Amino acid sequence: MEQQLAELSDKLAALEAAQAMSSTINAEIFYWWCTGLMVIIHAGFLAYEMGSSRSKNVLASGIKNILAFAFIVPTLFFVGWWIYLAFPNGFVPDLSSTYGAPWDVSMGPNLADNATGVFWAAFTLFAATTASIFSGAVIERIQVSAFLILAILLGSVVWILGASWGWHPTGWLTAKFGYHDVGAAGVVHMIAGFFALGVLINLGPRVGKFNADGSANDLHAHNVPFTITGLMLIIVGFFGFLGGCIIYIPGEQWINIYGQPATLSAFAFNTLMGFSGGIIGAWVKTRDPFWMMSGALIGIFCAASGLDLYYPPLAFLLGLFGGFVVPMAAKLLEKAGIDDAVGAFPVHGIGGLIGVVGCGVFASGYPNVEGFPPITLYGQLIGAVVMAALGFIPGYVVSALIKGMGFLRVPDEIQEIGLDKTKVPIKAYPEGSIGTMPAE
Amino acid sequence: MNGSPITSWDGAEAYFTFATSPGVIMVILIISVVACFGAIIYGGLHENEAYRHNMPDLPE
Repeated sequence: MEQQLAELSDKLAALEAAQAMSSTINAEIFYWWCTGLMVIIHAGFLAYEMGSSRSKNVLASGIKNILAFAFIVPTLFFVGWWIYLAFPNGFVPDLSSTYGAPWDVSMGPNLADNATGVFWAAFTLFAATTASIFSGAVIERIQVSAFLILAILLGSVVWILGASWGWHPTGWLTAKFGYHDVGAAGVVHMIAGFFALGVLINLGPRVGKFNADGSANDLHAHNVPFTITGLMLIIVGFFGFLGGCIIYIPGEQWINIYGQPATLSAFAFNTLMGFSGGIIGAWVKTRDPFWMMSGALIGIFCAASGLDLYYPPLAFLLGLFGGFVVPMAAKLLEKAGIDDAVGAFPVHGIGGLIGVVGCGVFASGYPNVEGFPPITLYGQLIGAVVMAALGFIPGYVVSALIKGMGFLRVPDEIQEIGLDKTKVPIKAYPEGSIGTMPAE
Repeated sequence: MNGSPITSWDGAEAYFTFATSPGVIMVILIISVVACFGAIIYGGLHENEAYRHNMPDLPE
């Protein structure tokens, strides 16, 4: 009898260990596939950005976009992951642990750590998304070396610092003000959009965008269907992005990034409802398929901060509102003489702002984890100001320094020739069907 | 070059190449950082050369 009990006990222990490892591996697999889906965001941005360029610049735009992704990966390894973990209290790092530093034992294959690699990978893809948002705004006239410095600053330093402040279980914005931004409307989209705005002010418009009297010309995208398809690919990838915004705890209910209980079902309801609201709002306002698909993104960002909380038709209405008003913001930006080639600031900056503030308007009162304040409009407004400043100030200051050093902008004469002809060793359309058709 | 920090899988934790040699890890890391930023500088020089090829009067 005793022997049977001992055998039973051993079997139970073995079963528990197998269950625990199975759950750990399930969690690892979940973030692996979220990261894989997020790569589709970059396929989308690549198509979007190349389609939005004129045919003489299409490959140069593609090179710039691909390089942003390539340089974010190592630089987030070198410094970004450590920034996220060390700066939740503000500008003074917590140096009590080397976890996250690139020489730490967690930063490589480790049989005792199934989590760090997949979380680092997911954050790397979030970072690459911020860099790609910025990338589209500056096409056809930024020098690649300047762009890469700015993209690394945004993707591997600035946004991840914002995430440490406002998208971390103990970040000071949530600890002091109850800031709530589960889908990263502020920490990704506002920061990237406002960073792009800061750079655009120093970079100036593409040659031919504005006339001497200040009126604007349409510099037509060379392949609108490609651009629209790219936008839809970004949407597909955002299901990986938003999946990566929720924490899988084996054997327990999901929690959001702040440690509050949540469900992936909540994200599913509100992502889709915001998505559709954004398309419809932009369709009503513009009838333009480019803006309709941008509206889908805007709708998701407008619902993003409270994806875990909203009654789904409220997410729909927030998306509808964003899809309707953001194209107007794009017009105002153009009237102000700023050439944002793909609408990155209005779509991400203003869309994200609506998301952050909307959460304060409609979700105030939701409790935080023990000891931290609940969601308030005041806390969300503070968060919005911090995210706008954290994006705009580094973008403006560093691009001004690069401009002063003389390598921010491609010379106007080169812009007129076309970047592909100047510095790309292959041709985009060697058979000559796009942009080079002989006159009848 | 023997990069393995382990001689058996029993009880192995951090097992990436040179995991138990912090000096080597630091050298590899520094070379990676230099290569990364060196590539940007090289790219910038190539870019300016390409512009100058099309615009000989471009200031230095």
